Amino acid sequence: MLEFLHDDLAILSVKEGCGEGECGACTVMLDNKPVNSCLILAVEADGTSIRTVEGEVKDGKLSPLQESFKKNHATQCGFCTPGMIMSAQSLLERNPKPNEEEIKEAIEGNFCRCTGYRQIIDAIFEVTKNAK
Amino acid sequence: MSKEYKYIGKGVPRIDADLKVTGQATYVGDMSFPGMLHAKMLISPHAHAKIKKIDTSKAKALDGVAAALTGEDLDYQVGLYMVDKTILAREKVRYHGEPVAAVAAETLEIAEKAVKLIEVEYEELKPLLDVEEAFNEKANLIHPNLGSYSHVQTAFFPKPGTNICHHSKIRRGDIDKGFQEADVIVEREYNNPSVQHVPMETHGAIVQWGIGDRVTIWTSAQSPFTVRNLFCHTFKLSHHQVRVIVPYVGGGFGGKAGIHLEPLVGCLSRATGGRPVKLIATRKEEYNTLPCRCGLKYKIKTGLMKDGKIVAQKLTLLWSAGAYADYAVNVTRASGYSAGGPYFYPNISTDSYTVYTNMVFGTAYRGFGHVELFWGLERHMDYCARELGIDPYEFRMKNLLKPGDITPTGEKLKDDSGDIRKCLNAAAKEIGWDGVKSEQQRIKEMQSGKVRGKGFAVLHKAPAMPTNTSSSCVIKMNENGSVILNISATDYGNGTYTPMAQIIAEEMDIPLDKIHVAYETDTDRDPYDWQTVASRFAPMGGRAVINACNDLKRKMSEVAAKVFECSPDDFIFQDEKIIHKSDPQKFIYYDKLATGYVYPNGNAIGGPLIGVGVYMAEGLTHLDKETGQGLPAFNWTYGAHAIEVEVDVETGEFTILKIASALDVGKVLNYESLKGQVIGGIIQGLGTAICERYVYDNKGRLLNNSFTDNKIPTAKDIPLEIVPIFIETPHDEGAYGARGAAEHPMISVAPAIGNALRDALGIELTEMPIRAEDVWKALKEKELVFEPATV
Amino acid sequence: MLNHFTYFKPQTESELLEKVKSYGDDTKILAGGTDLLIYMKQGITAPKVLIDVKGISEYSKIVTASDGSISIGASVTCNEVIENECINKHFPVLVEAAKTLGSYQLRNRATVIGNICNASPAADMAGPLLVLGALVIIGNDSGGREILLKDFFIGFKKNILKVDEFVKAIKVPAYFRDAKSGYLKSSRIKGHDLGICNVAMCRVNGTLKVAVGSCAVTPVLLPDFESDRAGTKFVIEAAMNNINPISDIRSSKEYRKHMVKVFIKRLLEKGNSH
Ligand code: FES
Ligand code: FES
Repeated sequence: MLEFLHDDLAILSVKEGCGEGECGACTVMLDNKPVNSCLILAVEADGTSIRTVEGEVKDGKLSPLQESFKKNHATQCGFCTPGMIMSAQSLLERNPKPNEEEIKEAIEGNFCRCTGYRQIIDAIFEVTKNAK
Repeated sequence: MSKEYKYIGKGVPRIDADLKVTGQATYVGDMSFPGMLHAKMLISPHAHAKIKKIDTSKAKALDGVAAALTGEDLDYQVGLYMVDKTILAREKVRYHGEPVAAVAAETLEIAEKAVKLIEVEYEELKPLLDVEEAFNEKANLIHPNLGSYSHVQTAFFPKPGTNICHHSKIRRGDIDKGFQEADVIVEREYNNPSVQHVPMETHGAIVQWGIGDRVTIWTSAQSPFTVRNLFCHTFKLSHHQVRVIVPYVGGGFGGKAGIHLEPLVGCLSRATGGRPVKLIATRKEEYNTLPCRCGLKYKIKTGLMKDGKIVAQKLTLLWSAGAYADYAVNVTRASGYSAGGPYFYPNISTDSYTVYTNMVFGTAYRGFGHVELFWGLERHMDYCARELGIDPYEFRMKNLLKPGDITPTGEKLKDDSGDIRKCLNAAAKEIGWDGVKSEQQRIKEMQSGKVRGKGFAVLHKAPAMPTNTSSSCVIKMNENGSVILNISATDYGNGTYTPMAQIIAEEMDIPLDKIHVAYETDTDRDPYDWQTVASRFAPMGGRAVINACNDLKRKMSEVAAKVFECSPDDFIFQDEKIIHKSDPQKFIYYDKLATGYVYPNGNAIGGPLIGVGVYMAEGLTHLDKETGQGLPAFNWTYGAHAIEVEVDVETGEFTILKIASALDVGKVLNYESLKGQVIGGIIQGLGTAICERYVYDNKGRLLNNSFTDNKIPTAKDIPLEIVPIFIETPHDEGAYGARGAAEHPMISVAPAIGNALRDALGIELTEMPIRAEDVWKALKEKELVFEPATV
Repeated sequence: MLNHFTYFKPQTESELLEKVKSYGDDTKILAGGTDLLIYMKQGITAPKVLIDVKGISEYSKIVTASDGSISIGASVTCNEVIENECINKHFPVLVEAAKTLGSYQLRNRATVIGNICNASPAADMAGPLLVLGALVIIGNDSGGREILLKDFFIGFKKNILKVDEFVKAIKVPAYFRDAKSGYLKSSRIKGHDLGICNVAMCRVNGTLKVAVGSCAVTPVLLPDFESDRAGTKFVIEAAMNNINPISDIRSSKEYRKHMVKVFIKRLLEKGNSH
């Protein structure tokens, strides 16, 4: 599915960091649940809906989470960022007020070699402040 | 006092953030071209073997295969400082993972199938896997032709007939006399394994070798000009024939400095008559085939006076380069001249060797030898203090360098050199250091099953660079007064572009949203820069940008002076206007000057505005071969980490409760971005400290070439509290007083943890990484461990 | 890159049976795919036919029977177990273990049955299911069969399934409902990782059951203990007699043994304080 999205459909945000389900760079939402697209056959996704970070932009505007990533310097090289945002977005959708532990739990499957995670966690936190 | 700035120091968002949070930033792996082919390498299954026969005929016969190459086809030598490598292995392989053949085909699938059809016959040779064994004069030679390799002769000194490809020396004072004077002599050995950089984006390149030897290279690299230069050297091309384009890069950490896959992909393209060929390393190849960080075994011997003064220091460092020298020789050199750390030594002697071994070869890695070196050095300083019965904080304060002191290479430190004492003080204070834990206290805490400990470690590093290191840039003003900066630094995540925009905003008083730093470094378009490595860009590239702004201002002033018939020195620059100093009614908006000033009658003067800036660090010298004396680097950045750790004494598992990191950065250019660099560095340092390592079997096969068994820290592994502290002792030469600080946060995290564990449990660890199991073993040796079966 | 294969997604069990029967040897059952696809990518296995069981609706369910037993279908993911109310309430050890398996996104695909069928000694779900006396419900042409999980593992990454057999569900008997239980796992980092070793424990009606993972070629269920006679020392001795850990890249055998001892002690203490 990763190759299909990236190479055939040119949805380029979906990155390969390992191809073995360890790093989360390929994370997309499949029927609104985050999954490692590198471990799914494209045919298995037949009839499902797939969300990638491209779709988080609405009317040319960044989503609140994307804005917060930008503001908090939660991206450096940016390679992990699309997958990271999909994991974090999914967390916020199932739990709008996560605590620090829950945030870490939700993004542990997304490796980031640049940021040391702190500013990513802060960025996710900041969005929860405005959540009801 | 420090000046109020409008843009400098502010934590403005990265200028590339929009593209990155939307997935629109394009990396090499995302690029494709009409007619593009895909490449795959065949790698050696052996660590050391003769290649007796290679047969590619079956691969070539496969439908869809456009080219298949072996070492026999490619008679070229490549190398950075030591030209010791071929593009594909010829005659023999020297490490498990070395590429021996490669295929370009219509699809990756075909290429993969094709490499499996290549038949290779090997004759296994005994691999050298231990650096001490390889160092031995009688050891088998991994490079019998060492004597004939060309190399940078001013800096590197190979010993033909051995596996030693470089030896750096420092001699200052009289080491024997120093040890004779000493009251106490402390000697111990330390060890670090190799580790991987693990950029999330693996190495990758697309090359098109067109007609007339016009070569275009798109690559995930830190150093476009170095890639171009070395590519030209290897293939005897003129620099104007080769164009290197670096798009967004998904992390480098030193591993993408120098030249790696580009020559191979270039040859494949040439072999197909000029079709573009793409090669993206798999994660396994990233671990196994691309370079890693060198291993290091070292001995430190220290002569001490009872009052805590160090009088003699002797260091012997054996760097395991792996199969090729790459950056290892320069790591050896740089860690050699800074091996003493930020301490004053009346007598010091250092021998730092680069030794070939049959393992994955090492290259530059964030810290450039210092992460490895400081592990032992700062564990050692704690050990010395405790041997003398002195508080390790006091011991360090007694010996740390200060302005006026002479470093081991003979450099006299100045007031602007930075303040290591302030760093240590701030970090230690932040964790509430109040002296070593007493044995009673430890025993008391042991009962509860959890013991806490505190520790710290200092660090220093200077950029390791040639004496003529330079940067240049061009600022072009557009019709509406906005500007574009062309610069050849690569922003592979480190965030260097944003402060450059801030500098222009500050110097020119232009709002940030009217400044664009051209991404995709392109050697055809952008002016020369040495490399984006060694934490040197912000201070040095920043100076080039300031100079370019000044050049632009000068050109604007000249035109404005004609318009107002005054002197070019009469102007200030504010709110996108050039304004007459004493008559503010006289002003011109930048956009009116951008493409030339037009008088009301239509006459025009000036022309398109372009500012050019260059900067070169002057006064650096080569180091003397025998004594290492000279001025090796632009500046030093000092720092210290302090850590509080909690250990589960039954299992050896530990949690880092807090880490405080103080760095003397000279001047903060972008607070948020620097914070990100520092935290990222700390966590990378944590990884190297607690879990990352290469493990080989006794035949030299790398056993953990995947994330399954070569983990990096996740969000769950970070310390509960991270406190970055910035000390600002301005550096005269750096832009706004700034120093580099990209590598430093990674250095000395490991020894700070080791020292905190020593404080908690009294255990002495000398090998990295520190796994829970190692803590448990050390406790067991001290018979402190809980044995459930006996209760 | 994956080899070429034919993909089927049967919608009923009988369709599945028919496919399994007609393709036999070269067939692999695909549920979560989180292990299978890795093996295929690494070339460890190259099936010609993949049969996806996610189309069979009853396989995607966690069913509580009237007697209180539960059965977990072949395509139930780890996250579905973690979110299941009944399992949380009555069989919490399954939730504890499932939470340590991989990352959140991986658990959205990884299935409990897949984890078991893989028969890795490190399988996180194996220990808890062993101590809960789980039964493996096997489908085959001759009407299927049920065996105890402890008899399912027969060697390193080997299970008892015949070529034409597959696992439909795993069942935890009502007898183990609300049993006091616990699971502890040691790994190299705090984030998701394969275990160095793990121990699962459960007490039910005067019996203590203990399972140890990553310490032999299969997950190991120790012989039952009479609960009130099982002191720490006794259980640890029994464990040491039944496991045979090796030293590998993840850990030394000494540390594995030590951690098993610590975990047994801790789980017993936890059990006793309930
Ligand atoms: S690429 Fe899918 S998890 Fe790494
Ligand atoms: S920003 Fe580079 S890996 Fe996360």
